[in-house]
Amino acid sequence: MSLSNLSHVISHLNNVNKARLALTSIPNTKLHLKLCLALQNDGLVSAVVRGGTRPPAPHQLLGIPAANDEKIGLEPVTQTNVADRRLWLGLKYWRTEPVLGKMQMVSTPKKRVTINLKGLRKVCQGYDAPFVRGLRSPGESLYVSTDKGIMEARECVEKKSGGMVLCRVENH
Amino acid sequence: MSLSRPARCVFCNFSRPASAAPRVARRQFHPSPFRLNDAPKPKDSEAPAAPNAKKSAKEGRQMTLNDITRTMRPEFVKRYTEEEKAALQEVYSAKQMEAILAGEEAIDPKDLADQFGVRSDPMRLKYLDDFSHIEPGVDKHVRAPQSNSDYRQQLKSTEELVADFAKYITELPEDADSVHWINFLETNRLTVGKEEAELAPHSALAPDLFQADERLDEGVELSDEEAVVKTESGASAEERLRPRDTLEKFEPPLARLIEFTGLSSKYISNLSVKTLVQHTVTNQTRLGKVQRWYVLAIAGNQNGALGLGEAKSFEASDALKQARYRAVRNMKPILRYENRTIFGDVKGKVGAMDLVLMSRPPGFGLRCQSLIYEMCRAAGISDLAARVNGSRNKMNTVKAAYEALMSQRDPEDVARGRGKKLVDVRKVYYSGKWN
Repeated sequence: MSLSNLSHVISHLNNVNKARLALTSIPNTKLHLKLCLALQNDGLVSAVVRGGTRPPAPHQLLGIPAANDEKIGLEPVTQTNVADRRLWLGLKYWRTEPVLGKMQMVSTPKKRVTINLKGLRKVCQGYDAPFVRGLRSPGESLYVSTDKGIMEARECVEKKSGGMVLCRVENH
Repeated sequence: MSLSRPARCVFCNFSRPASAAPRVARRQFHPSPFRLNDAPKPKDSEAPAAPNAKKSAKEGRQMTLNDITRTMRPEFVKRYTEEEKAALQEVYSAKQMEAILAGEEAIDPKDLADQFGVRSDPMRLKYLDDFSHIEPGVDKHVRAPQSNSDYRQQLKSTEELVADFAKYITELPEDADSVHWINFLETNRLTVGKEEAELAPHSALAPDLFQADERLDEGVELSDEEAVVKTESGASAEERLRPRDTLEKFEPPLARLIEFTGLSSKYISNLSVKTLVQHTVTNQTRLGKVQRWYVLAIAGNQNGALGLGEAKSFEASDALKQARYRAVRNMKPILRYENRTIFGDVKGKVGAMDLVLMSRPPGFGLRCQSLIYEMCRAAGISDLAARVNGSRNKMNTVKAAYEALMSQRDPEDVARGRGKKLVDVRKVYYSGKWN
């Protein structure tokens, strides 16, 4: 679990949002994929597709096949091509503002922050926990890596598991 | 059957709306807005009523929707007598009368009395109407038929007009007077072709909502102040409507403010306007120092609107007045949660000044420094905490706090952006009322 690569991804996503791009790609790792799927689950990202160095076909990103689309399947990941796989993310905007707000690392390569269920409950209620500020603004979310996968803080509380706090998404 | 209520017919018994709407279901899990408190509703007499209701108001007490709902009894459902039918004929057109009578014929009054009820569905009318008038904007437009148009229509030539005039002169009776001449001018056609094409041409355009001398608030009672101004300025309707007349009695800056914002002078005087910062600023020129007054004022309606105004002038009083009026002019709505606090924590930064406004639970009060306190008072926020970091410059504090209040995100917007559905559980729990 390379947090330094994750922090590069997070600042890349922040930059991409400022530039109002619709599509971007990040290095393909299991950590990035799981985090992106958690973001997609919360509606912050429109699509997550594992493709090559070229962007995948539109229907794979949109999930809606078009009449004029060629029937291109996704290339399966093999030992020969795994090194150049990338994750392609579709970004969302609402009223000219990015839906995915500013992302910030909570754990860093030097200081990993873990939190237990009790602490997470407090954070979700808006109170601060050690090294983790409470979720107080509308739409603010926190992503935690647990043994049940990478999840949003509120989902973690639902499933009663704590873990390592990866990053938070602010709305401003 | 009185003339003031000609609509007591079989149809209108059904269509007469109920005023007492049922409460929203206790657990309504959808985000569409519903009434959130039991604040007194506007009186029914203030609601727009049908023309006939207005007439009856002159005669005696005006029937409101509430009155009708309360007084309506199944026994009232009877067949029309001949006098009632004659009275109805004065109000309704022949076609409408036909429909009314057909309706009466079709439904047995006994059945109607059995099944009588006041409508409570969402599509019910929320105002009083006897359907005797065609309301522009609500009803289907009444248009001349397409067959009225004539593509061979032409303006009459000079010779034809002269011929018309000659005919008029020859047919003129001996005791002719000016009435004949006016009659001729009004009835003489100016075009050749179908008569309907000139008199009632077909048009694809929707008819105008208002006639030349009509306006929306006709019949609405004026406040004493306005009424005095209007009666003073003369009898003609057009003259009375000219806003300039009403504005003349105010000093020019206030008049301009009223004209720009469309707010009444009474409303403006009731706003809470406060001067927060006032000091001199100096411009160093080669001729020496030029001192001027700087004033920063805020204005709010204590119900979710707040504005900032700044002004500079050589005279302190000028700057003061200008800043206060500009604050009123700049008033904008701010987001409030439950009409008492803000949504989450918001940050503002101006220059070296850095502040955080934090939402707080009910009854917490305004625990913040004086300038932010005043702003919250004016805006109608009662629970809030603030932390001011860095510089403590007064002017920048106010600006940063304003910026912070304005930068709130509406949770509904956030949810829409993410494609999620949002329900305020607190609202649902308290059945949509908490204050």
